[in-house]
Amino acid sequence: MWLLKGVNVLNWFRNIKSNWNTWTILSILFIVIILLPSLSIILQFAAETNENWLHIKEYMLNTYIVNSVILVLFVGLFTAIIGSSLAWIISAYDFPLRGFFQWGLILPLAIPPYIGAYTYHGILNYTGVIQTTLRNQWDITVNQQYFNIMNMPGAIFIFVIFLFPYVFTITKAFLARQSTALIENARILGTSSWRIYYRTVLPIARASIVAGVSLVILEVLNDYGVVKYYGIQTFTTAIFQTWFGLGDLDSAIKLSGTLMLLILGLLVLERVLRGRKRFSFTTTKVRLLQPVKLQGKRKWLAFGYCMFVFGIAFIIPFIQLIYWAMLTYDQSFSVEFLQVIGNTIGVAFVAAAIITIMAVVISNVSRLNRGLFSKVFPKVTILGYSIPGAVIAVGVVSLFIGLDKQIYEWGFTSSYILSTSIVMLIFAYIVRYLAVAYNSVESGFERIGTQFTDASRILGNNVTKSFFKVDIKLIRGAIFGGFILAFIDILKELPLTLILRPFNFETLATNAFNYATNEMIHEAALPSILIICISAISIYAFHHVLERE
Amino acid sequence: MFVNIKDLSFKYPNATTHCLESFNLTIQKGDITTILGESGSGKSSLLRLVAGLEMPEKGSISVDDQLMAGPSTFVQPEKRGIGMVFQDYALFPHLKVEDNITFGLHKWTRKEKKQRLNEVIELVNLKGYEKRYPYELSGGQQQRVALARALAPKPKLLLFDEPFSNLDADLQLKIREELRRILKATGVTSIFVTHDQDDAQALADQIVVLRDGKIIDLGTPRDIFGTDCDFSDRIAVKPRVLSKV
Repeated sequence: MWLLKGVNVLNWFRNIKSNWNTWTILSILFIVIILLPSLSIILQFAAETNENWLHIKEYMLNTYIVNSVILVLFVGLFTAIIGSSLAWIISAYDFPLRGFFQWGLILPLAIPPYIGAYTYHGILNYTGVIQTTLRNQWDITVNQQYFNIMNMPGAIFIFVIFLFPYVFTITKAFLARQSTALIENARILGTSSWRIYYRTVLPIARASIVAGVSLVILEVLNDYGVVKYYGIQTFTTAIFQTWFGLGDLDSAIKLSGTLMLLILGLLVLERVLRGRKRFSFTTTKVRLLQPVKLQGKRKWLAFGYCMFVFGIAFIIPFIQLIYWAMLTYDQSFSVEFLQVIGNTIGVAFVAAAIITIMAVVISNVSRLNRGLFSKVFPKVTILGYSIPGAVIAVGVVSLFIGLDKQIYEWGFTSSYILSTSIVMLIFAYIVRYLAVAYNSVESGFERIGTQFTDASRILGNNVTKSFFKVDIKLIRGAIFGGFILAFIDILKELPLTLILRPFNFETLATNAFNYATNEMIHEAALPSILIICISAISIYAFHHVLERE
Repeated sequence: MFVNIKDLSFKYPNATTHCLESFNLTIQKGDITTILGESGSGKSSLLRLVAGLEMPEKGSISVDDQLMAGPSTFVQPEKRGIGMVFQDYALFPHLKVEDNITFGLHKWTRKEKKQRLNEVIELVNLKGYEKRYPYELSGGQQQRVALARALAPKPKLLLFDEPFSNLDADLQLKIREELRRILKATGVTSIFVTHDQDDAQALADQIVVLRDGKIIDLGTPRDIFGTDCDFSDRIAVKPRVLSKV
């Protein structure tokens, strides 16, 4: 028995020794860095309570919870309906412009909800295009109540039209690849289209709809721009208020901790909802669903539905923004604006590059090692994406202030260096968006498997050499894709940037948002258009060009 | 003995049963050994263990008097000097045939590389295909490139993981004979994993029949299948083994 135990211990040392290389050490280091802000919140969550927190808990916390839950429920419900129905129509039927809608209906994602929020407010308010036209052309004055969008239903509307593409893309991808046999069977059995949708499509696509909706919900809980602009009290606005309004970081940490608990509950719920039913077949033979050509009235009905959604979610706000941008072009385009563009691209580029390198290192380690690494690493990287920007910001600030204090006490510096620098913002971007690049890189690695690495190692190359001579050449596309996705997300990011940017540091997103909150909606158009165009081009590149390849 | 596997046990993490349990095997220098078994018998795991792609739970593996894996020893695959031909060849798709073949020739001069390339290209009969990419070759040609690539660095031991499973029957027969000729010409010791009894018989000096991670029969093709070459006769000659496989 003793001898056996001795052998086990020897094996254990041997396993550690042979797995212990630069890659493993680096990835453990990265993982710890990612975890630090969350740990900082968890550790301080239990700290002593102060008066502000008691006040918040007594009078406000309920409102935050109720408002956040209402938003999450309704946005989740409507995005599920719109996203899945569009995905079904596009996958199963052929009608005019179907090819365009396939990627066109993803385009609303290029418009960040906060930009959509003030654009729609600008369209619908007293001086907006609708009311002005009614007044000037037909002398009609409308009841302002019907045109007020700055309330809870308005916010739900904004989130639904700009976030439904998450459900649409995930469900569409599932239906196109996985459902062919089931749907063709239902068709042969003579089931009507409507019945197929709610008796077959909805149940089998449940897992992908839930996956899409949970991304939507995370976005809603992350949002600061829309709820702030529309004056709805949620967790994120409360975190901003207690911090900037009351200057109370401790209470902000408590709010963040509560929100993290709420999200944890949601993620558990998602697991339960998805259940063991995965509904993906174990066959590797993928047969694409062949769309049925629609005729007559039904053809135009399908076209009309897609066009209606696309119009509201993209064309209308986009045209309005272009019009405003043309009105204010000469005022808003200046040397300062060029500086803002430079800032945005520079910081997004640096952060996305670091993120991509980290994603490659972590996913390579978790792919080549079995057991703990491969199980824990992917989950930790995704953690950051589930935590709202405002919460990460709180965690990062409390961490950096702690570090600064320490450095100051040691006498290295005469003032706080880290917490006033751009390093803090880039660090927060990394924590939040690592998952985006990670997913892309990981799927690239999954596609090639480990056989090329195995072959290269047997031919005498160590893990690092194999990576540079073989792996990286085979997943170039996935690495580049991960970089672009992270870059775009950082470009659009608002709450983190608002909280953590150094003094006087503006990005396109903060620039647009500041104009809008100062009721200078027309001036906000130019930075908004730039954000939308850069995002739209990359969405096009992704879903149109890459899908063809 | 050239290859010495002692008391080897292995299981995948999360698996409840062992892939291999207290496995022992010795192989003489220059011999071709075939591991014959159904899928799931542990034969591919054995190959990966010898190559260093998996770490044994217990036991030891030594090749040419060098301990590769033991209780406190583990030599990484890149340091073992063992060659391997993969089931689906794993030819690097971004490299030309010549670059695939010379991939494992580290610290060789350009001239030496060129010379070695010509040697193995000649050996596997692929002259004129050096500048092609793997996807421009047929299945049989790809397989020969994989063999050439594994042979080029002059490995002490060559491993084959079901190398014929992706070829059609005609080609299989032809390549099998050619392979034995090449292996014997180079004198390299090799281990072959297959589920096909014809492969085993045509190639092997020694056959190991594996089932559920344990050896159930071991010997020369003659010991295992009898003297006759015809497959149907073999069943009559030695039903004991074949019913087990």
